[in-house]
Amino acid sequence: MPALQFDRIALDAETENLREQVRQFVQENEGHFERPNSDFVTGHDPEFSRKLGEKGWIGMTWPTGYGGGERSNFDRLVVTEELLAAGAPVSAHWIADRQSGPLLLRFGTEEQRQKYLPGICRGESYFSIGMSEPDTGSDLASVRTSAILEGDNYRVNGTKIWTTDAHRNDYIICLVRTQPAEENRHAGLSQIIIDLKRDGAKVRPIKNMAGGEDFNEVVFEDVIVPKDRIVGEAGNGWAQVTSELAYERSGPERFLSAFRVFVELVRFCGPEPTQYQATVIGRIASHIMTLRRMSISVAGMLESGKDVVVEAALVKELGNNFEKLLPELARVVGSDGFSDFSRDGDLFRRTFEDTMLLSPSFTLRGGTREILRGVIARGLGLR
Amino acid sequence: MDQADVTNLIVESAEKILSDFCDKKLLDQCEAGGFAKELWEEIRSNGFFDLGIFKEQYSNQDIFAFLKICGRYAAPLPLAETILARGWFPDALSDESGVVSIGVVDGLEVKRVAWGRFTEWLVAINIEDMSLRLFRDFEVVEEKMNMAGEPSDTLKVGDPFSAIELKEEPFAQMALAKTNLLAGTLQSVLDLGLLFATDRVQFGRSISKFQAIQHSLAVIAAEVAAAQRAADAAVDSIGGERFLIEVAAGKARVGEAVGIVAEQTHQIHGAMGFTHEHQLHHFTRRLWAWRDEWGSESYWQRRLGEWLSKQGPDKLWASLATPG
Repeated sequence: MPALQFDRIALDAETENLREQVRQFVQENEGHFERPNSDFVTGHDPEFSRKLGEKGWIGMTWPTGYGGGERSNFDRLVVTEELLAAGAPVSAHWIADRQSGPLLLRFGTEEQRQKYLPGICRGESYFSIGMSEPDTGSDLASVRTSAILEGDNYRVNGTKIWTTDAHRNDYIICLVRTQPAEENRHAGLSQIIIDLKRDGAKVRPIKNMAGGEDFNEVVFEDVIVPKDRIVGEAGNGWAQVTSELAYERSGPERFLSAFRVFVELVRFCGPEPTQYQATVIGRIASHIMTLRRMSISVAGMLESGKDVVVEAALVKELGNNFEKLLPELARVVGSDGFSDFSRDGDLFRRTFEDTMLLSPSFTLRGGTREILRGVIARGLGLR
Repeated sequence: MDQADVTNLIVESAEKILSDFCDKKLLDQCEAGGFAKELWEEIRSNGFFDLGIFKEQYSNQDIFAFLKICGRYAAPLPLAETILARGWFPDALSDESGVVSIGVVDGLEVKRVAWGRFTEWLVAINIEDMSLRLFRDFEVVEEKMNMAGEPSDTLKVGDPFSAIELKEEPFAQMALAKTNLLAGTLQSVLDLGLLFATDRVQFGRSISKFQAIQHSLAVIAAEVAAAQRAADAAVDSIGGERFLIEVAAGKARVGEAVGIVAEQTHQIHGAMGFTHEHQLHHFTRRLWAWRDEWGSESYWQRRLGEWLSKQGPDKLWASLATPG
């Protein structure tokens, strides 16, 4: 039987020292933490991102030649988990750091790396993901946005949707059809970089149920893009996009989104909680301690160049379910049904409500629960 | 040989012995009141009871790696009890001491003694002060069973043979043993689920091809993986300041996995898994029994929660984010 192995890994002293530096940085930058939220999509703060860039905490694992720090995946993990746990406003640079940069490093051309990576590392250049479309959700290979080669340019037509921060980011990397769909649906797909500020994409905000307006519809009508914006090779889009999704799935952001609710729950319950409150607090903690170690194990696999597709899906499956369980557990012992229910009430209530309203997205973004279970099933040899 | 080689060797030889002996017939016999004498002798003669004694030769990881394998094969003997007790009383107990079991003091009685009716030595843990006493002089007052059909007897004790206190709470050490036994059993239940789903044909195809079954197995596999990692982390904390915290988290997390894994695996097995004839229940009943032994989820969650509450909200993350 296939064994899903999550190795024991202990972070070394240098990495732990970095953790202390991040904690100190967080303390020194209190002004950026007005409404702490551990959800990585919440908190767009370019000034904060630039400060992180100055510290060398964006693009940490990338070669120094592109502005990176050539540090380990463990160092990166410690920085991200500390920032998320503190509820730092990390959304501006998050996608570029986690996903777009590594994609360009792995598949991009030398010119693309030189052009885009240093700005990402400085915390100045922000990216969006162009995968979903109005008729394309989980069935990613069904994308219809087309990029047709005409001389030295591609002509792009189509619509991307649920595009976080497209209205304020610099670039979007879109999955497009460069060849019409044939029997092999995975052929003829490519990834192309589009400049959101200059290339003429039309961006329309979509308000989410939490009242936020960070995701958008992005429409391309005869948008002309130079052909050197194709990431890697034309036609290799499917392989690239699936590898990109693996980066997306195992990080601490997959189980820490609701962490601030836990902090405020512990504050609410005080140093001498009731038995029931203590039980709930311990239950939440036992999950976080385990998920964190599993996430570190995956970082270790990434560090040694192993394929992490299944393990990452597994961490995301457990982590997302837990992120949804946390506010559910917290509300039972954090309110008695007679407290101030006005929106923005006390600190616990406010933090709980902010997270509760975002929680439906936890098991949707980065691959739905249903898709992830399919990935795990394939890893178990069932598909 | 480095440490990893030693551990691998222990795991491999344990697997060989246990897979030879622990079949359904033996498990049924033990439940009908028998004692697996030959298996006991095989384990003894291969030196597994020394795991807790020879500290320079074996690491703590070895003891618990062995117990994981015991859980995997549902080994019907008080192996965790004998190994830990030998480590606690190295002078009084030897390889010739025979069965040693452990129970909890309740007045003049010692309760929930695994295989108490077969034991030759008894260790009694006093929950009040976590002290330990070793007894040679005792009698069985009541023969009982846990829901897995393992003896869980009440004994009345005479004068203690010796008494000690340990640095690491013996109750928590037994919880750690159960955590690892559970982790091993959980792995077997996943394997049984995968095997059954692949073999069983309905509607003209293997039921493992149905998405509903695949999703169920994915959920089971995720819980089993989490349980393994949680159990390993608890083992790694032996000797450190966080021992109780990590055992609490480990036993609680593994216990939570049990509920999901047992329920969903039975669902996959359908009526066949509900029969006595099928082997699944030997594993799932152990899961259900052991998760409540040596502290249930709620007991350990509460202890962990009380400790975290004392640390306070602003130290909450720092209390969870350990290097290892």
